[in-house]
Amino acid sequence: MKLKLKIKGKEREVEILEEGEDKVKIKVGEKEFIFGKEKEKKGISLIQTSIPRRDFSKKEIKAPIAGVISEIFVKEGDFVKREQKILSLSTMKMENEIVSDFDGKVKKFLVKKNQEVKEGETLIVLE
Amino acid sequence: MRDPEFKIKNFKEIFSTNQKAKELALSGTAPWTVIAAEKQIAGYGKEKVSWFSPQGGLYFSIILPKSKIEDLQTLTILAAFIVAKTINDNFSLETLIKLPNDVLLNQKKVAGVLTENIIGKDVRLSVLGIGLNTNIEKFPKELENRATSLKIELGRELNNKKILKKIFKELKEQLKTISE
Repeated sequence: MKLKLKIKGKEREVEILEEGEDKVKIKVGEKEFIFGKEKEKKGISLIQTSIPRRDFSKKEIKAPIAGVISEIFVKEGDFVKREQKILSLSTMKMENEIVSDFDGKVKKFLVKKNQEVKEGETLIVLE
Repeated sequence: MRDPEFKIKNFKEIFSTNQKAKELALSGTAPWTVIAAEKQIAGYGKEKVSWFSPQGGLYFSIILPKSKIEDLQTLTILAAFIVAKTINDNFSLETLIKLPNDVLLNQKKVAGVLTENIIGKDVRLSVLGIGLNTNIEKFPKELENRATSLKIELGRELNNKKILKKIFKELKEQLKTISE
């Protein structure tokens, strides 16, 4: 998750990333700060209390293989669960059901039915 | 000869053998299990185009071991070749493969292969379905010019179980390289 924050009058890009269980990495420009339970005990992590515990890594579902989107089972705004069927991708030789690797809300659908996609192309973004 | 490794689940009537195979694979049924049906109510092929599946035909799906997706693409074509070869070798008929997944006899469809995968970060499961028109006596008007059966071509009844075992054995032999 990237945010633009004003720190001491200057606008800075802040990126929040998950760093293992109960740890959060915050990047401010090139500097990295890791906050976790241990540091919390020492009273350093003031910011962590305001961050909800969730997965901050990029939740993108990509095409595992080139093909044509033959069916779409979810829409933007839907909540999907891990292993839930998202769409069908047909190739010349196979039918492929693509399932989600994450729990999350469908933030953006980047493909349409009957659209050709390349291997590795991002199909949907979850948040 | 009885093959202890040949595990088969037979159904009198089924929605689709591929559908059933996916369900069973998801609930932990072992790879190489065969799901066969005497009749499919909603058999389908590529792009969910329906596959005429009345009593008499041979309809089965195989739960495959986990493989790389690129291997599975090859596998569909390979399966079509094996079906064609089985027909050629056992019944002295000359088949033609319509790539990637159909087998023709006298320019009419006699068999089709459909591989289906469920994919997340990796391939969760794969099933290979084969529909072979063995003992079908007659096709509906709209299919008459496009489909045929071994019985129509040979004029005699065939043993579905024997044909299934031959195809299965050959497939397993050829696919030794694709394993978990």
